[in-house]
Order: sequence, then C-alpha cells, then structure tokens
Amino acid sequence: MFKLFEREVLSVNEFSKTQTSINVKDLNVWLNNKHVLKDINIRIPKNKITALIGQSGCGKTTLLNSFNRMNEFIPSHKMTGEVWINDRDIYDKRERVSRLRTQIGMVFQRPNPFPMSIYDNVSFGLKIQGEKNRRMLDDSVQKALKKAALWEEVRDRLFDSALTLSGGQQQRLMIARALALEPSILLLDEPTSALDPLTTLYIEELIVELKKQCTVLVVTHNMQQAARVSDYSAFIHMGELVEYSDSDSLFTMPNKQQTEDYITGRYG
Amino acid sequence: MASYIKSQQSKDFLSVFNHALFKVLVITASGILISVLLGIVLFIGFQGVRYFLPMQAYTITTSFEGIDTTENQGISAQTNQSMLASEYLLSHQAKESLRTSLQQKLVEQYAGQQSAIPSVTVVLANNVYLLTTNSGQKILGEFVSINENNSTLTSLSSLPKLQTTVMRLQQNLNDIQLQQLTPLHQDIYRLEQTDVNQNTPLFQKKLSEFNHWQANANSITEQIESYTIKLKLANQNVVSYPISQLQDLYQPNSLSFWQSIGYTLNQIYIFLTDFPKQAATSGGVFPAIFGTLLMVIIMALLVTPFGAISAIYLHEYAPNNRLTSIIRVSVSNMAAVPSVVYGVFGLGFFVYVLGGSIDKLLYSDELPSPTFGTPGLLWASLTMGILTLPVVIVATEEGLSRIPNNLRMGALALGATKFEVIKKVVLPMASPGILTGVILAVARAAGEVAPLILVGAVKFAPTLPIDGDFPFIHLERQFMHLGVFIYDGAFHNQTESQVASLMFATCMLLLVIVLILNISAILLRNKLRNQYERLE
Repeated sequence: MFKLFEREVLSVNEFSKTQTSINVKDLNVWLNNKHVLKDINIRIPKNKITALIGQSGCGKTTLLNSFNRMNEFIPSHKMTGEVWINDRDIYDKRERVSRLRTQIGMVFQRPNPFPMSIYDNVSFGLKIQGEKNRRMLDDSVQKALKKAALWEEVRDRLFDSALTLSGGQQQRLMIARALALEPSILLLDEPTSALDPLTTLYIEELIVELKKQCTVLVVTHNMQQAARVSDYSAFIHMGELVEYSDSDSLFTMPNKQQTEDYITGRYG
Repeated sequence: MASYIKSQQSKDFLSVFNHALFKVLVITASGILISVLLGIVLFIGFQGVRYFLPMQAYTITTSFEGIDTTENQGISAQTNQSMLASEYLLSHQAKESLRTSLQQKLVEQYAGQQSAIPSVTVVLANNVYLLTTNSGQKILGEFVSINENNSTLTSLSSLPKLQTTVMRLQQNLNDIQLQQLTPLHQDIYRLEQTDVNQNTPLFQKKLSEFNHWQANANSITEQIESYTIKLKLANQNVVSYPISQLQDLYQPNSLSFWQSIGYTLNQIYIFLTDFPKQAATSGGVFPAIFGTLLMVIIMALLVTPFGAISAIYLHEYAPNNRLTSIIRVSVSNMAAVPSVVYGVFGLGFFVYVLGGSIDKLLYSDELPSPTFGTPGLLWASLTMGILTLPVVIVATEEGLSRIPNNLRMGALALGATKFEVIKKVVLPMASPGILTGVILAVARAAGEVAPLILVGAVKFAPTLPIDGDFPFIHLERQFMHLGVFIYDGAFHNQTESQVASLMFATCMLLLVIVLILNISAILLRNKLRNQYERLE
C-alpha cells in the first residue's frame, strides 16, 4: 500500500479522555424542520486530522457547524444531545458563543476575505478580542502568516487589499486568519473545492503541518484527498454516521457495504 | 411532421414580430423620454442663461396717426394731450422682433377698436445710460450733468473721484453714528429712565454733546445729498439721483465684447451672492441658496442615523415575520404619500404640538408671540427628514443586501458578536449605500415646494438663519428656499419679462444642483456595485 505520510494510529475506540478533542453524544439536529443529523456519537482525537466524507446534503457540514454553533444562524434550528469540546459542554447556557468561536477556527468552502488589507484581515479576530498593542498584533500576524505558508509571498504588501490575492493565496489567508487566534481546533469546510490541483496539493501539505498545533477536521468530497491527508475518516450517509475508523482501514477494507459503495464510486 | 414544422414556423414568425415590435416600442419610448428631458433642460437653460446676458436699450415711440378723436371718446383725453409717447426699454430681443411683439400687445389691448391702435417705432437708444441704484432699481436716461454742491459738471470723467469722496463722507457719517451718537443716546435714555432732572449739568452736557454730533451728522448727510447725477428720461423729464445711491452706470448699447463678458460674470456673481431686490425682480438669490443648503444639511444630519439604523434593524435583526413585512410595506408606502400631506402633518404635529409645547415650557415669558410654535427652519428640516426617510432606508437596505453573507459568517466564526460584525464589516461596506440614499434624499428635499410652504419657507426672509447674534444658528427662523422662491416669483409677478428670466435662472440653478446630486449618487452606486462584484 502506497502511503504519502507516515502515521501512528489507534483504533477509534481506544482514545482516552485526554486524547479526545471533541466528544459528540447522541446529537440530533433539525434544520428547517428537516432531520439532518440522527443520533451521532463520535469522538474526534486531539492533534489528528479527521476527514468527514459523504454525499452532498448528507449532513457533514451541519456536523462541522455544530462544533462552533454556526448552525444557530439557520432559522428554525433545533438540536438535542451534547457536544463536549476540551471537557466543556459547548451548548451549556453559560457558554459564551463568541468566546467559543475564538477557540475553534473555521475556513469556508470559498475564500471570504474582508475588503480590507491583508494585515487587517489576519488581525481582525485579535482586534475583536480587544488586542490593541501594535507589536503584539504585528507578531501574531507574522506568526499566523508563516504558519499558513503565506508570509514569504505577502510580506512586502501586507497593507494591500486582500482582494488582490489569488484564490489559493486567499484560502491560505483564511487559514492564517483563523490561526491568528491560536485555536485548538480548526474546521475546514471543503477548503480546496474551489482551487486548482496544484494549489490543492499545497494546501494539503499545509493541513498536515497544522496538526502539530491543533485538531483538524476537514470536510471533503475528494476521496484521494481524504485518504492522503487524514488520520481518521468518518463516513456519513443520510444524516447517520455509518462508519468511523482510521483512514487506512476505512479506505482499504471498509466494514460496511455502504462505505465500500461510496468510496469506490458506486453511488454518490 | 408537416404540421409541427408549420407551427414551429409560425411561432418563429410571431417571436420575430414580437421582437421587432418590442424594439420599435423601446426606441420610441426612449426617444420620447430623451427628447422631453432635453426639451425641458434646453428651454430652462435658454431662458435662464438670458438673465445673465447684456441687454440693448431701445427707444420705443408709440404714435397715434390719423385718429379721429371725436369717434374714440374713451381715449380722446389721452390723445389730445400727447400724440406721441416714448420710453426707453431694455430688452434681449432684436429690434424687429421687439417691435412686432409690442405691436401685438397693443392689438390685444385695443381689441375691437382697430382704427385706434397706435403704431410703434423702435430705435436703438445709443447714447442712453443705464443707472443701477443700490436698491436694485434700474433707470434709463441720457446723461445731463453731475452736480457737486453748487457747481455743475457736464462730463462724466470726474464721477469716480466724486464717488470716492462720497464714500469717505459716508464712512465719516457711520463713524459718528456708531461711536458718538449711539452711546450718547443710550446714556440719555438711561438718565431719563432714572428720573434725573433735565436741568442737571450732566444731563445738559450730554444733551449738548448729542446735539453737536447730530448737527455734524446732519451737515454730512446734506453734503452727501448734494452730490447728484442728473438723467433725462425718455419723456424729457430730468431726474436727479444721489451719487451715494449709485451702484453702476454704463451705456448698454456700446459694450465691447470683453465688457459684455464682464457684465455676464458680474451678473452671475450678483445672482449667487446678492439678496433679491425690487420685489424679487433683480439682485440675486443668495438667501434662497443658503436656506436650501442649511435646510438639507440639517435634514441629512437627522435622516442619516435614523434611516441607517432602521435599515440595519430591518435587514440584520428583524425576524422574518408578519410584523417585519408590515413595517417594510409601511416604509414603501411612506414614499408614495403626497408631499403636501407631510407638509400638513409637519404643520399640525411639529409646529403646533411640538413647537407649542416647547414654547409653553421654555419660552413662556414671550407668549403669546410664538418662538418655536411657528413655521421655521427646524420644523421644515424635520418634515423633509420624514419625507425622505424611506429613500434612505430603501437605499441602505439595498446596500446591505449586496454584502455577501459569507463575510458575515466569516466574521462571526472569528468570534465577533453580531454587533461587532455590523460595526466592523457591514457598516463600512454599506456606507456608500447609505451615502447614496442621503444624496437622493437631499436632491428630493432641495426640489420640494408644497410641504415647505406650510412649515417654514417664505418668499422673503429679512434675516438669514445663521448670523452673529447668539446662539448663531436660529432654527426657529423662517428661511428662503429655491423652489419656494421660484413658485412665488413665477406666480405672483407674471407681467415682467425680467422677473420671468430671474425665475428661469433660479430654475436652472435648481436643476443644476439636483442634477449634480443625482449624478454623484449614480456614480457612487456604480462604484459600490463594482466593489461587490469583485467580492462575489
């Protein structure tokens, strides 16, 4: 079996409490009176890359969004169950949503830079947090851009509009913008679907680098990408978690017929 | 198969026909629109520009030739007295067309008495001077002489020297009045108030001082009045005008090209900076420009925050329910309410209810004469603010809806609260939209007339709403407005052709202001659109 990246893996049932980053218990979500997620139970390991795969509309993005409570902007949103992140119930009434979201970075399918300079885009989250010290901001921006492998390309034009960057650069800027807040979890919602293959490869390498600092969750339609990049993979079908295991076993010898059909392209 | 082809053909034929018909309709409609707009602009422009051009002086002579006075009893007295009547006239028209139009007027005047119609001759009056007084009065006449005390000069060459002399005298008179007479008068008034006997030495001293300065002032006034200029009118009467009243004196028929341009520039300058004179027949429209600008500025200051906050509430916060749609429908309907209704509302609510209450609470010692309980600048601005609120709300909402939602999501995902998202991301991007709305609102308010007549705009305001007296901005004062000025002037002074062209010039000014505002709104909106297209 050809492997691009070396990895150490545990079985998904073996994570101890300290190795778990996100713990989802009996999660049900209804959006617009549609039952989107059904009884999801999943443990996401710390500092690993977990891929969520499945058909369009199966509920992958909804699951991702329920980790930073972005579903709440959809009208008639309803949920039951619990989501524990770093031993805190994020749906607890005492939890401050804006604080939660600073700890969980998110990158969207299409780059959405603010119409401001590159610098202002990266420092946006910190400024919202009330950080005013110019040197602290400068340092954080530089660090975040370096982590996102964008520093070398933009160091001379930090104060140009972010809209002047190319698509791949913009997506890396979005990753830098999320990383500037030093989140413990990074949610990537089909981060490469709008990019060309070469840029995609570049971003994939970046994602693998990132797991040193944080837990990465990536939603993708690209099976090769999921196999290449992720340590663990979860296959979701019609709102149900069908199979969840380390990526090697899921992509080489899936346990369920549904999973095999999907990854071999028999449906979806 | 054949029938299918046939039906297909007829369909094609129909669609081509429809297409052609549609094209013709579009071309016709746009042609009509453009020609109407051009027609209005050209007509107003032509009539308005004429106001600034120099005019020719003519001698108009009406003569009654071959009139049998016994048959026309009605006018016999007049015809017996003078068979000839002549006057000087300033006109833009060429000689022949002026004669025709005057003759036409006489024909209308003497309708039914064909034999009594006098004939008109028009001759260029080349050696006639046009004298303009400080109060805007214009007199045409031949120059006779300048009088200085007792000497008479028959040449105009010493006029500038005399004018400076008169100006110096005027300055002296002003100094005496301000520095001597006014304080003395106040002192005497104070002494009278405190019941000091008129025979006390102090009182006597003050009185004698006052008399001394008063006599001085009188002699200077006499001196000033002794400088006069004499003109002979067309009816051979000689009239004299004090040189102190003289603003301008020139021969209208012998202006060189550069002098004509100077005259035009001077007219434009006067038009923009002077007060209306001679019952709005000459002078300028400065107070109307000033009043209009001040009114729209106050209105913009009021309507911008209200409109923007309402639009942000409706677009960003309001739940998608029945109440919100009722509010939205109400906003759209507000834009359709006739403006005079707003005027009546402003008069009833702002002026009488609000203004009346303010007077009772804060200015009770001045009642029954009202301070705020009467039409004024503040109430006009408020009324126009309500009138233009829907414009701002709709434009701002359009600006808000053009901001891509994923930007809001991106900011929220970075831990911003909803308020922070609006403050940091949405508002900066929506500000050109808000500005567009405000500009359109200002253009609307600058052109309104009906509500303004009810809530504070007047045809002539003696004072500007801003002056040197505390508190400098007098929001309770009535003010002048370009639209109201046109309405009043055009309807109440129909006879004078000169007035008509002042009104046309004001129309042109208003048109230019509104055009500039609208064009800038359109440019801003296009810029905004391009900016958003790059984001999507």
